[in-house]
Amino acid sequence: MKKLSLLFFVVMVLLLGCVNTESDVQGDEPEQTPDETNIERPTIEILGTSTGEDDLNILRDQLTNNGFEVELNIQPDYGSFTTQRDAGNYDLALSSWTTVTGNPDYAVRSLFTSDGDNSLFADQQADELVNLASTQLAEEYQETYKDLEQHIVFDQAYIAPLYISYKAQGVNDTIINEETVRLPKSRAAVWEAVDFNDASLRDSQPLLVHQAIGSLTSLDPIKGNDGSINTLNTNIYVRLVNLTDDDQVVSDGSLSLNHVIAEGNQDYYFLLRDDIYFAAIEEDGVVNTEDRVGAEDVQFSLNRAKDRNSVPDHRTYSLHESMDNIEIVSDLSELEDAVTINGDSVKEALEVGLDQDITELTTSKDDANNANGIYQAVKITTVNPFPQVLNYLAHQSAGIVSQQQVESVNTFDVEDYNVDEDIAYGDQRTVTEDSGFDNTLYASGPYILVSKNDYEAHFVKNPGYRAGTDGEPNINEVIVKFIQEPESALSALRNNEIHILNGVAENRYDTVIEDESLTLQQNESNGVTYLAFNMEGREVSTNVALRQAILHSINQDEFISFYQGNKMPAVSTVSPLVNTGLTLEADSERVQELLREAAE
Amino acid sequence: MNQLYKKKLKQSDLYKHGHFSFVVSLLLATILLVNSYQFTTQTWQLSLFLIAVAYLFVTIFQLVLNLRTRRDILKYGNIQRKTRLLTAFQLGSLLVGNVFTATYAFRALQDDGEIEYTFAYYMFLADFLIIAVTSFNLFKPYVTNYFIPVVFSLAVLLLLDVIVLIWLARSKSVSRKSTRLVRLLPYLFMVTSLTGNVFRFILGYSLLLKQGKRDPANSERWQLFWIKLTKRFTAMIGLLFVIFTFSLSITSFTTFVTRFAVANDYTVLLTEPSLVYPFGTDNFGRDVFSRIVFGARISLIIGMLTTLIPMIIGGFLGAISGFFHRSLDQAIMRVLDVLYAIPGILLAIAIIAAFGSSTLNLIIALSVGSIPMYARTMRANILMIAHLDFIEAARALGESEWKILFKHAIPNGFAPMIVRATLTIGTAVIATSSLSFLGLGVEPHVPEWGNVLRIGSQYLETEPYLAIFPGLAIILLVLSFNFLGDGLRDALDPKIN
Repeated sequence: MKKLSLLFFVVMVLLLGCVNTESDVQGDEPEQTPDETNIERPTIEILGTSTGEDDLNILRDQLTNNGFEVELNIQPDYGSFTTQRDAGNYDLALSSWTTVTGNPDYAVRSLFTSDGDNSLFADQQADELVNLASTQLAEEYQETYKDLEQHIVFDQAYIAPLYISYKAQGVNDTIINEETVRLPKSRAAVWEAVDFNDASLRDSQPLLVHQAIGSLTSLDPIKGNDGSINTLNTNIYVRLVNLTDDDQVVSDGSLSLNHVIAEGNQDYYFLLRDDIYFAAIEEDGVVNTEDRVGAEDVQFSLNRAKDRNSVPDHRTYSLHESMDNIEIVSDLSELEDAVTINGDSVKEALEVGLDQDITELTTSKDDANNANGIYQAVKITTVNPFPQVLNYLAHQSAGIVSQQQVESVNTFDVEDYNVDEDIAYGDQRTVTEDSGFDNTLYASGPYILVSKNDYEAHFVKNPGYRAGTDGEPNINEVIVKFIQEPESALSALRNNEIHILNGVAENRYDTVIEDESLTLQQNESNGVTYLAFNMEGREVSTNVALRQAILHSINQDEFISFYQGNKMPAVSTVSPLVNTGLTLEADSERVQELLREAAE
Repeated sequence: MNQLYKKKLKQSDLYKHGHFSFVVSLLLATILLVNSYQFTTQTWQLSLFLIAVAYLFVTIFQLVLNLRTRRDILKYGNIQRKTRLLTAFQLGSLLVGNVFTATYAFRALQDDGEIEYTFAYYMFLADFLIIAVTSFNLFKPYVTNYFIPVVFSLAVLLLLDVIVLIWLARSKSVSRKSTRLVRLLPYLFMVTSLTGNVFRFILGYSLLLKQGKRDPANSERWQLFWIKLTKRFTAMIGLLFVIFTFSLSITSFTTFVTRFAVANDYTVLLTEPSLVYPFGTDNFGRDVFSRIVFGARISLIIGMLTTLIPMIIGGFLGAISGFFHRSLDQAIMRVLDVLYAIPGILLAIAIIAAFGSSTLNLIIALSVGSIPMYARTMRANILMIAHLDFIEAARALGESEWKILFKHAIPNGFAPMIVRATLTIGTAVIATSSLSFLGLGVEPHVPEWGNVLRIGSQYLETEPYLAIFPGLAIILLVLSFNFLGDGLRDALDPKIN
């Protein structure tokens, strides 16, 4: 027995003797906590939604390692998140921003100016820089935006950037011709281009797509700018210009045949096509109203877009306030006299690629006849030189509505509008099944919404949209399925319940790639995830050094490796659009210095 | 004669135990064998395959033992010495972690032994499993500062277990010997049971009862209870797992590195199970094995508290409403009926939605819902007991009503409450995990089993082990409590008494 015990002890000692302990290992690491310097660990409360749980966890880990105490305030949905944010119960709010217009001005104006729609802070210098950049062309504004980023991110630390996301889309390539499915960086899905592998299915099978939110803000383009209607309104209404997949402004697939910027960056000319007619829903289904989409409708639509009092609950006027005047050009000599930046006349520039030169301009849309050289032209003048106005014209909120139809539906007085009694144009009740209201939509775009319920929305193609040309929509019918949960949506894609899924999660790329019937499309996006500091009534609101300490605690590389390389480093919301050359580096030593400074 | 032996075989708990061990081992061996074959690449995974083969061997050996036992009983009426000696080899199955066959072997070696022997080998098994699980930390880059001394002490305790086990197996009766060392032994056991090994405490208490000059009836009741409970090997294995989990929750304070369970490590995201990470790593590079070990503590604490709190509150309310005036009874029970009408999990979700998610709120939320259930059980018992003679006798002696209630009524009506509590503790563990799974429980980075499972559920297709192991942990703990509850019900049932 004694021998056995002795043997046992010897083995144990040998076995355990060669093990590293925690204190052995910690000797190698720099001491990260500022305990020795007698600085109290600042407590930071981070607010987020449960969908951002992964980001919150990484942040908690990084801030804890840099000597902060972290409290997480995780709200189950966006509604309760905004309630908490409005109540000011946070130091840092995990937020994200997507520049849907593809231009840098939109990326900064709303958030960083004192009077922006979603203003995060008030800073005079930031206001000046934003306004200066808006008057500049791409070559010049890079420096201005660099100054802006330096000021708001590094010098003042009003926001702390995390990453830029990619966009990913899963397409069922056994049914859909994958090459016809576009994944633009900013613009919403282009349904009219999508085609089946088997073209004979166009009339018999619907295209099945997906959207997370089923409650639609409004089908009046100017009354909403969110995920519930962006894609739908983009396909219901045509615009003066469009964005390409990499955010260049073009006339392709739009109401204009060509567009031109006149010298001075203040006058913009658009030559309109004559082969788009409004569609409407009548008892037998969709009909071509034979009412042409013309310059009068453009003038009406843009005038109401820039006027904040044109409709109750106008949500997009700030995008269009840069426009001063919209007029229908009647005098051909005006086009001949105006000059572009290149020195050509505007008329020549507008005629590029046309079969028939402009011989006559008309102010009545019914008289237009492009084949005979009779065109309509629209001139837009901005308040200040503002080349980025074209991006706003490509946004869904600049969709062209029918003057006649909107005026006949919106008969109420805007000031006395009562949401329970007055049914405004585009109200979702007019398209909801069994609601008892008539569908009053007039669609100028490739598709029109017939009806919707809680589970899906039913679209058919506009018979008067460029019929007989390349621009005619391929598939007759589109059904948008409302599936809120990303995992369920992915399952729906794999089970052929939907054909296209926009927004595949990073950790699900492999699932889509490995599935033989699916193709994964990827593109960069303009979505930036950042932390907004609470600028009112908190320690972080007044203590710049503390904000900078948090800023430099963030290690973007760790976020990127967590997302398996499917994120890009960011500095501010303009990072996806303008390369300013700035980067945010994690720096623990700097954090300790700043923390000491913050404590003083 | 033959008929008698056949009946004996049917009644033999040992034979049933052997049969059960065989079936479970066969099942485990099959699962391991199937898992060691990679169907996609058509290759065998060597380490898993070897374990599977070992299990298969244990299973076959168990079958041989079963057949021999059967033959012995049918032929001689009892198990022959040769068979018993052969059983000793089955103790080796402990090396591959097969507690089913190991408990069988211990039991068969000393079938008519005293109850202390049973405690001793379960105590040994619990210690052995703790050391085995803890020693996986040796493969990690580093261990805690206390790891070496703690594991060393645990090993010493294990050695002590072996010595005690041998001593108890050899001596037929403990009570006769009364050296100074033996008299001190129970106290030593009770102190060292601080590692969480409750079996050691039970053994110590049992030895103390035997030595003591106290009421022998007490000792007898204690013995009888345990004899009945130990007959049900499923209950004992349940108790073993519960005590193992409990003990691991305590020892893990000093033997498991917290950093591995909570700190993110982006260099080892989603790695497959290996010796360093026995259950793989999750999407933040945290060791799932450590997370499950730490999670056991939270699950157990919340499970116990959410059972104890309603048991005390509900038990008290039920007792006074059953014992005192009818109007009080009506008032309390109708209020509780209202509470009973609200589904427990919905009530919990509502409470957490209103007051925010934290561990304390979670405990309160889960406790409130089960108060009526305990109150009803207690009230029913008290109503039955209140009319019995000994209560009348106490009244006649002029004792105060409260004293009668607490001293005579409640202690005699408490057994069903214990059974109910054991059975609902499993439900409480599941409720905790469910709420965490829904994101309503403890904070997401806290290693709670529901949280661990939630992350796993996102990777069910690509990294299934992330969900399988926490899922198994929950299943095993809940199953253990249920088996234990069943055993307790039988052991405490006065009708069988």
